[in-house]
Amino acid sequence: MRNMIDINRTPIWIISFALLAFLLSPARSFGQGKEVTSYINRYKQNEVSTGYYEEYEMRPGNERPFVKNFHSIARKPFPYSSTAASIRNRSLLADSHRGIKFYDNRRCEGCHINETKDIHTTRANLTCRQCHGPEPIAGIDHYYSPLNPIRRHAYVCAKCHQGAGASFAGYVVHEPPAGSSTAKADFPALYYSYWFMMALLVGTLAFFIPHTILTGLREMFKRKKG
Amino acid sequence: MQTVRIKRFNILDRSFHFFLILTFLTQTATGFSRLFFSTVWGKNLTAVFGGYDASILIHKWVGIFMICGFIFHTLYLLTRIDFHNLWASLFGPDSLIPTVRDAKHLWQRILWFFGIGSQPEIGRWAYWEKFDYWAVYWGMPLLAVTGVMLMYPVMASRYVPGWTLNIAVLLHRAEAILAVSYIFIVHFFVGHLRPSSFPMNEAMFAGSIPMEELEEEKPVWLNQLKAEGKFETVKANPPSLLYKIIYFIFGYAALGFGVYLLINGIINSRYIPLH
Repeated sequence: MRNMIDINRTPIWIISFALLAFLLSPARSFGQGKEVTSYINRYKQNEVSTGYYEEYEMRPGNERPFVKNFHSIARKPFPYSSTAASIRNRSLLADSHRGIKFYDNRRCEGCHINETKDIHTTRANLTCRQCHGPEPIAGIDHYYSPLNPIRRHAYVCAKCHQGAGASFAGYVVHEPPAGSSTAKADFPALYYSYWFMMALLVGTLAFFIPHTILTGLREMFKRKKG
Repeated sequence: MQTVRIKRFNILDRSFHFFLILTFLTQTATGFSRLFFSTVWGKNLTAVFGGYDASILIHKWVGIFMICGFIFHTLYLLTRIDFHNLWASLFGPDSLIPTVRDAKHLWQRILWFFGIGSQPEIGRWAYWEKFDYWAVYWGMPLLAVTGVMLMYPVMASRYVPGWTLNIAVLLHRAEAILAVSYIFIVHFFVGHLRPSSFPMNEAMFAGSIPMEELEEEKPVWLNQLKAEGKFETVKANPPSLLYKIIYFIFGYAALGFGVYLLINGIINSRYIPLH
C-alpha cells in the first residue's frame, strides 16, 4: 500500500521532531476537570476557571456559624448515648459510611431526610453526589474531602457560583429549621432572626386586623351628625 | 350645588403611590411564583412570567427600579423639611412623624370602638396612616439590602460572612410576607371595605376629598387650614368622569389581583417552608 507510512522511508528528522514535541508538550491528564482527576488537578482547574485566587481564599473558613464542637461533645461525661460520639466523628472519616449494613441497597434520603429539604435540593435539583462526591463519600471534616472548609469553595461551590470564596462557602446549605431548638444551638443568628420576624408579623397582624375590623363595625353603627 | 373639594395629595404623591402599586404587585407575583414553586399554583404563576429564571429576572429589575424610586422619594422627603424651623417641621401637625398625640388618639379610638367616649379629633395624618407610611419606608430598605445581597451573593460574601446569606433569605421572605399580608388585608380593608370608604377611598387617585368627608374624618386639619388662612388655596376641582372610571377599574384590578395572590398564598402556605 502506497499511502501507508513506511517507517523506514520516513526521514529521521520527522520522527525526532514528533518525539520531541511529545516530550515537550504539557503532561496528559485525560479526565481534566472531571470528578475522576486528582485533587491537585481539580483545585488548579477551579482556580483557573473562576479566575479568583486571592489570599483570603486560602484561609480556612473560620466564619462558620456552627458552634458545635465534635470533640467536646465526645468528651462530655454523659454523651447522648454510648455510640453518639462515634457517629459524630464520622465527619472525620475518609469513608463516612464505613461499616453501615446493607449500605449498597440504601439511598441517601433514607437516613438524611432533613438534608433534602434545602433550596439546593428542592429548587436547583442538585443530587447529593454533585457536592459530596462519588463513593467512598468522605466525611466533610476529613482532610482530603472536597467539602472540607479549606477547599470547599473552590472544589464544590465554584462549580456553579463562579468566583466563590471561603466566606461564600460559609453559607449553610443544610440549614436547620429556623425556629427549632437545633437552630438555637447551632445557628443562633438564624433562630433569633426567625423569631424576631415572626413576632413582628404576628404582632402587627394581631393588632391591626382586629383594629381594622372594629373600625369597620363601629362605623356601621355610627350616628349621623346633625 | 357643587360640593367643595379639598386637595390632599399632589400629583407627585399620587405618582409615588401609583408606582408603588405597580412595582409592589409585580414583586409579589414574581416573588410568590418562586416562593411557591414547589406547588402547582406556583409553577403556573412562574409560567406567566416565562418560567423560574425569567421571573427572578423581572423580580431583580423591578427591585432595582423600586430602589431608585425609594431614593427619589427620600430626596423628595428632604425637600419637604423646613430646615430653618426644624423642630416645628418635624413634629408639627403636618409631619408624618409619630408623636405622643398619636398614642392618645389610638387609646381614644380603642375606647370609642367599645362605645366609650367620642372619636379622636384627628389632624392631617391619622396614626394608622403614619403606620402605613413608615411600615413601607422601613420595609423597603430591608428588602433592598437583603435583595441586593442575594442578587450578588458571591460579591456580598466578600464583605460579610457567607452565613449572613442564610439570614438574608429569611429576612427577605419574612418581610415580604409581612408586607403582603398587611397591604392585602389591612390596607385594602381600610381603603375599600370600611363603611366610610366603601366602595373605594378615592383620595389617593383623585387627589382631593369632599368637604363633608374632611369634616368627619379630619376636623383638626380643617381648623388648622382655616386658622392658617390656607383654606382657599387647597380647594380642588372634582375629578373628571373619564378619570374616575379609569382609576376605579385600575383600583379594583389591583385589589382583585392582590386578593387573588393572598388567598392562593394562604391556601398553598402549608406546602412550603417559611424560611
